[in-house]
Amino acid sequence: MDVKEEEVLLSIRSLQKTYKTGDGVRDINLDIRKGELITLLGPSGCGKTTVLRTIGGFLNPDAGEVKIENQSILHLPPEKRPTAMVFQSYNLWPHMTVYDNLAFGLKLRKTGKQQIREKVEQVLKLVRLPGTEKKYPSQLSGGQQQRVAVARALLLEPKVLLLDEPFSALDAKLRMEMREELREIQAAGNLTMVFVTHDQEEALSISDRIVVMNSGRIEQVASPQDIYDQPSSLFVAQFIGRMNFLNGQASKDGIQVQSLRFGNDKGLAGEVTVAVRPEDMVMQDPSAAGMSGTVRQVMVLGHYAEVSVETPAGMTKVFLPREEARALLTGAEVHLGISRATAYSKTS
Amino acid sequence: MNVDKAGLIKMKGKTERTGISSQTKASITGLLMVIPSFALLVFTVIIPISLAVKESFLDTDRAFSLKNYTYLFTDKAMQSNLMFTLNLTLISTALTLLIGYLLAIYLRFNEGRITDWIRKLYYIPMFVPGVIATYGIINMYGNHGWLMRIGNALGFESFPRFIYDYNGLLLANLWFNIPFTTMLLSSALAGIPNSVIESARDVGAGKISIFAKFIVPMTYKTLLVAATFSFMGMIGAFTAPFLIGPNAPQVLGVAMQQSFSIYHEVGIASAMAVFMFLLCSGMGYFYIRSMIKEEPAAR
Ligand SMILES: Nc1ncnc2c1ncn2[C@@H]1O[C@H](COP(=O)(O)OP(=O)(O)O)[C@@H](O)[C@H]1O
Ligand SMILES: [Mg+2]
Repeated sequence: MDVKEEEVLLSIRSLQKTYKTGDGVRDINLDIRKGELITLLGPSGCGKTTVLRTIGGFLNPDAGEVKIENQSILHLPPEKRPTAMVFQSYNLWPHMTVYDNLAFGLKLRKTGKQQIREKVEQVLKLVRLPGTEKKYPSQLSGGQQQRVAVARALLLEPKVLLLDEPFSALDAKLRMEMREELREIQAAGNLTMVFVTHDQEEALSISDRIVVMNSGRIEQVASPQDIYDQPSSLFVAQFIGRMNFLNGQASKDGIQVQSLRFGNDKGLAGEVTVAVRPEDMVMQDPSAAGMSGTVRQVMVLGHYAEVSVETPAGMTKVFLPREEARALLTGAEVHLGISRATAYSKTS
Repeated sequence: MNVDKAGLIKMKGKTERTGISSQTKASITGLLMVIPSFALLVFTVIIPISLAVKESFLDTDRAFSLKNYTYLFTDKAMQSNLMFTLNLTLISTALTLLIGYLLAIYLRFNEGRITDWIRKLYYIPMFVPGVIATYGIINMYGNHGWLMRIGNALGFESFPRFIYDYNGLLLANLWFNIPFTTMLLSSALAGIPNSVIESARDVGAGKISIFAKFIVPMTYKTLLVAATFSFMGMIGAFTAPFLIGPNAPQVLGVAMQQSFSIYHEVGIASAMAVFMFLLCSGMGYFYIRSMIKEEPAAR
């Protein structure tokens, strides 16, 4: 993509892996910078784990190349790769204490006893679990177990840390805390991480860049901001955030939605789908150009309200400040404008 | 969770408060329900064992003596019977565990058509009655059995003896015990999540340390169960030794049957039975102790 060659730590080229069932991933190209937290985001079954496990060495790709610091790692087994993986669950070894779980990898690397003790203590402090050395995994909560799992991976000082939905089994509040902590640790250590999730909110909140995947392919790679503001495909537009989809007509002069008109920079033609975020819909004076509609429902959700408006171009959600929404009644005629929109051809 | 617990405690309190009469009723019902199984235990286990123990301490004049035990441990033939049985049982148990463990590990970590076939077929011996399997062994390995005929046709002259020999009994023991052992161990291995093995590889563990540091510690309890069951089944084996065992030395089960019904030496037969029972209860003791011992990793 737009990553300079000398910055690239992990590079994936034309990766392909097809299972016997025909599922799998294709045409995966990705460059990841050092110190970057990149998220693989997509619905369940789109191939995120497959890509991650190929990087980690648990799967052999059918074709393509995976390089770290410009060296191919494909011939290496997982135990020899400069990667470390945090799994979704059952990460910890149930028959070992937290200390042994953490020390095992270091022992294999012939680290001195004293040094192991120091490192374990340090990393436990980092994940906010000091003093738990003697506990067994079953004596920890799910969140604590995942923290230890992250700690164990960090201890190996991998060049790339791979995380496969590590927080998806935790409840919402804990999940939020854990991802903040992870982001802090990542930023403080300038660590490179590939984070898999199917939760778009999670991806938007922690990533430097997001890779949106759909049925085995990459749909878009961009910063959370760009993914949100400029979804490159209808799939991304549907998958990320709330979105209205209106029927429009494209021609050389622009894109027409009812009486509203936008620029046609993609050069589309014919029937198009116009995607508008609810916060980009605005209420307008009847005198201004716009689209008329009927209010069907007003829901006050905290500091803002979600208003459903039926228009000739389709049912539309509009986010309004609570005060503005107070005046609206079901059945009222309103006039809508659009401050920003993206159009997609209907055929693709 | 908390609410459930609180509710439970409340309920308990209620049943306690409803009065002594219902509590007494409950305990009487409980007693009535225990009686049948207790009676069964008394009449099928406790009384026969007590009788056998008593019998083993009586001489031919029905007077108390240790003669039967002295005979059991000093008579040349008896000594070799004992050694033969112990040797056969221990070797069979060890081989059963070894083969069963290897097979179970192979099945756990491999995929493919051959593996699928083995997975489908390996437990068939469990469904073949012992007598039939033993005749099968005679047909296959006997002096004019299939193995020898095929071997002769191919030009081989000498064969190891199987029938009426230690080898045949070993073979029978393996045939009868490997499937169950493999099944037990397979289910223990299936209980190890893939991510446990994969995370071990991820931190740098090779095949040997994965086996020694993960697979063995996570399955040794089941290994112990399998060892106990195999040992107990084999030490009291009768069908195969009776049909294809050597005439001397004999397996304890066969020797016991002969003392009892051919020589009518009830005391000696009883002493043998008591000795076997002690061996098995020793095994059982270790088994139960290690099962009860609080596993720190377990919840
Ligand atoms: N071992 C496997 N054998 C066959 N199909 C598989 C295997 N693993 C995954 N798949 C299929 O490949 C697709 C991608 O799976 P996966 O990478 O696990 O998706 P995700 O992690 O995005 O949910 C899915 O359709 C899944 O069913
Ligand atoms: Mg997955």
